[in-house]
Amino acid sequence: MEYRKTIGIEVHCELKTKEKIFSPSLSNYGSIANTNANIIDMAYPGVLPQFNSEVLSFAIKACHVLNLNITKKMHFDRKNYFYADNPKNFQITQNETPIGTNGYVEIDINGKKKKIEILEMHIEEDTCKSVHSDKYSLLDYNRAGVPLIEIVTKPCMESALEAVKYLEKLRELLLYAGVSDCKIEEGSMRCDTNVSISKTNELGTKIEVKNIGSISNVGEAINYEAKRQEEILEKGEKLREETRRFDDKTRTTILMRVKETGNDYRYFPEPDIPYVNLTDDFIHDAINELSRMPDERRKDYEKSGILPINIEKIIANKEISDYLENFLDINLVIASNLLLGDIQSYLNKNNLKIEDTKLTHQKFRDLVNKLDKKEINNKIFKDILIDIMETSKDIDDIICDKGLNVSFDDNLLNSIIDNVLSNNEKIISDYKNGNTRSAKALMGLIMKEGKGKIDPSAANEKLMEKLNSL
Amino acid sequence: MSKYLDLSLKEIHELLKKGEITPTILVNECFEKIENSNLNAFINTYKDYALLEAKKLEEMNVPDDILFGIPIAIKDNIMVKDMKCTCASRMLDNFVSIYDAGCIDYIKDHHMIIVGKTNMDEFAMGSTSETSYYGAPHNPWNYNKTTGGSSGGSAAVVSIGIVPLALGSDTGGSVRQPSSFCGIVGMKPTYGRISRHGLVAYGSSLDQVGVMSRNVYENAILLNAISHLDKRDLTSFDTDIDFTREIDKPLENFKVAIPSFFISDIIDPEVKEKIMNIKKILEDNKIQVDIVDIKYIDKTAILYQIIAMGEASSNLARFDGIKYGYSYPNPASLDDLYKKTRRYGFGEEVKRRIMVGSYLLSGENAKIYYNKALEIRDDLKKNFLDAFKKYDLIIGPTAARCAYDLGMNQNDPLKGFMDDILVMHANMGGFPSLSMPIGLNRENLPIGLQIIGNLYKEDTIYQLASFIEKKVKFDSKKVRNGI
Amino acid sequence: MLTKEEVMHVADLARIEITEEELQKYQKDLKILLDEVDKIKDIDDFDDEKMFSPTDNTFDLERKNISVTNENVLLNVPKKMGNFVEAPVMINE
Repeated sequence: MEYRKTIGIEVHCELKTKEKIFSPSLSNYGSIANTNANIIDMAYPGVLPQFNSEVLSFAIKACHVLNLNITKKMHFDRKNYFYADNPKNFQITQNETPIGTNGYVEIDINGKKKKIEILEMHIEEDTCKSVHSDKYSLLDYNRAGVPLIEIVTKPCMESALEAVKYLEKLRELLLYAGVSDCKIEEGSMRCDTNVSISKTNELGTKIEVKNIGSISNVGEAINYEAKRQEEILEKGEKLREETRRFDDKTRTTILMRVKETGNDYRYFPEPDIPYVNLTDDFIHDAINELSRMPDERRKDYEKSGILPINIEKIIANKEISDYLENFLDINLVIASNLLLGDIQSYLNKNNLKIEDTKLTHQKFRDLVNKLDKKEINNKIFKDILIDIMETSKDIDDIICDKGLNVSFDDNLLNSIIDNVLSNNEKIISDYKNGNTRSAKALMGLIMKEGKGKIDPSAANEKLMEKLNSL
Repeated sequence: MSKYLDLSLKEIHELLKKGEITPTILVNECFEKIENSNLNAFINTYKDYALLEAKKLEEMNVPDDILFGIPIAIKDNIMVKDMKCTCASRMLDNFVSIYDAGCIDYIKDHHMIIVGKTNMDEFAMGSTSETSYYGAPHNPWNYNKTTGGSSGGSAAVVSIGIVPLALGSDTGGSVRQPSSFCGIVGMKPTYGRISRHGLVAYGSSLDQVGVMSRNVYENAILLNAISHLDKRDLTSFDTDIDFTREIDKPLENFKVAIPSFFISDIIDPEVKEKIMNIKKILEDNKIQVDIVDIKYIDKTAILYQIIAMGEASSNLARFDGIKYGYSYPNPASLDDLYKKTRRYGFGEEVKRRIMVGSYLLSGENAKIYYNKALEIRDDLKKNFLDAFKKYDLIIGPTAARCAYDLGMNQNDPLKGFMDDILVMHANMGGFPSLSMPIGLNRENLPIGLQIIGNLYKEDTIYQLASFIEKKVKFDSKKVRNGI
Repeated sequence: MLTKEEVMHVADLARIEITEEELQKYQKDLKILLDEVDKIKDIDDFDDEKMFSPTDNTFDLERKNISVTNENVLLNVPKKMGNFVEAPVMINE
């Protein structure tokens, strides 16, 4: 009989509020060490926690997209433990009344849907950032007090694939809820996973793997851990509850500490923060600020005929997807191709964001519509891209100034084709005799005459129409 | 030596207005008194700073504010920028504050002159001020007696007349009990009335800054000055009443309760006699006084110890040798730094309370002790609220006995709590409570009356206190002949 | 009465080093304090609503944080390295 894996995951995400949760310091720990640290962050004697209510609205949004029930009356608790990165030597968190309970995230495993159940989500504060040498540790209090949400699943996942899919989905949802950057590499999203294996219905010994550096590593860590546990059990040995970490270099898990008989965190309600009563209005206001979630956007993209591979590319790039939200009424295939293609390369090359360029919504809309109506072709678009991005002129003016505006006149196209046809009767008769290559020869002549300024497909269509009616 | 500081604030203010005296004269008088006293009531004094401030004030027109230019002493667990804040602990012996407490903002706004930081029990844990790293202060009424605590230094300096006003802090009676022992007026207002921002936390849900003065009126004036909404303290509330507004108004249809526990056998007979005397004075003036029973009033000490020590164990965890304060040199490890810093930085009483607090919150104990204490605390508060539906005020002794010999409590870990057995209720429920002197015992030591009011009813307390003050005519100047 | 091991455990939780001699004294002192608070076990007949703060304040959902000082926050730091606060090596992570 095979061992079954049981996996639970705890994720910490930094909320990207402007200020910290319990202090007015900027919540931006990239700055010079200890410059975004005030007397509250440094746990000076006599200071009290304040409370940044923006955190509540961020957390409500997260609850909403994770289908969690929102706890309307809640309080905060102190989690007491000594550690150098814990300035007060207690952390303010929510033990008794987490803001969200009993939610789920739906994932897709080879076409089959599965709900990953979320036990709870609570709000807490981040610790100091620390760097270590073998002689000392250095502490930066800029990160101390940055708001975090911790999302805890039930032990309901059965494979590394499910865990990876869950994390990808969770990341996507929180990103699109606009509450967190969810950058694992930068530490704004941190994953701990609990893995146990068993042959029976009873759960096996739970092993925690902490601080895994990427989503794919979570999958790898789970598989490694399950295999390691199986080998130990097969030898007839027993597992003990322990905390391990995933080592990037060796691709293995390494023991950090054996769990003591339950950590003694001495939780008690934080007396310095009164009960928080979330009103329906406050909750609705927060939820109303949410933009559309990825699955809803995917449906629109599918309907508009964007290729599946491109849909995922768009979703993976929230900036592009958010940009497209303004243009759902125009040709999304063309719009998305522009954004994923030439515009993206232009932005990357110049290290710019769309809002840094001269491409206004109106210009983008014009551009897509002109391409859609074949008023301009792709070659012309490429010719005028730099002008679009770097000048304030509208598209018509750019085309006009560059002298590119003549070829889309139907009359002109007709006269070029008519001209070519009247001068090449030989080729026409070849065509009539079944030489299909002759049409291509005629097209070549037409394109030459049009000096590359005409839309080939329009010309081709018109040519075939005329040839066949001759 | 000038004796302007013995005058009432109103009289001092008139002299300042007329230009007959200056703040510098007041500061010099204050420091002369400090230098001539041997009460060990201050931990640090700031003469140069005070004289500089006084000089600045002399360039101003004297405003209509009787607190202008008045020297004040601050308990050494309240932050004053650029002054040391030791909490009477080796742990913070060298700690210099880099910010002002919420209440200090207003002390400075009113141009009061801070002359020094007063002695106290280490981290406000105790009721004799003897747990101070700097040794105990002495009671001005009798050098060998305790001042009480933990705000013992503040009580002593007001009592002896060094300053007319002082700030203390009261977690379980720490303003009122030393006020009682030293014969002055001490008020612990409603929880949240004065910002706790900048008050070093002992028991966060119990702590409140308190005001100490020679008489009731000046007490209300100081409370007026420093109670404001402070958004840096989420438990602070908006307050715009004048606490002197009920003073001198007739006590019509007044009803007062004395809990039977407050006059039970645990009370010293002399103290009880004085309380019964007050009862008689009130009744003679057509005020109804009833003896009542309030459920759990006799159990409060148990709840108090659990909650105060539990919260303290967490509040004092931040003293770890990393960010500020005493730091054990060359520790072998992080844990070694913690354990040795806290071993040598804290005194016995503090360590004991932190350890007990840690135990009470540990594992299943949190349910058995801490959560249960919070549940009964809620009932206790409701029982007091019920009593306040029938009675305007609750009165009784502040302490079961008068000031006793220094050294008597040592080696008894429980005594420190038992002195506060009558004053903790106000902290448990957040109620305002005042202690005022109502006479002396045979040893010439002051006896204090406690008046507890309903939430937000400080003005009613001052009304009765002022009435009683006029009836008993306690002579607070008697003590000052000793200087 | 707490056993010596329990007293050591509590001292450990509180990160306070105690010596063998002190251990005896703390064991005695803690017994006195704990015997007192143990009396809470005899109290019953109360309702189960908890009060963790006497404040009547309700949380202001529109509140904004008020500025507090960040000047000189490193003034009292016992050991610094550049702009960092120095601590003994952290283990476990």
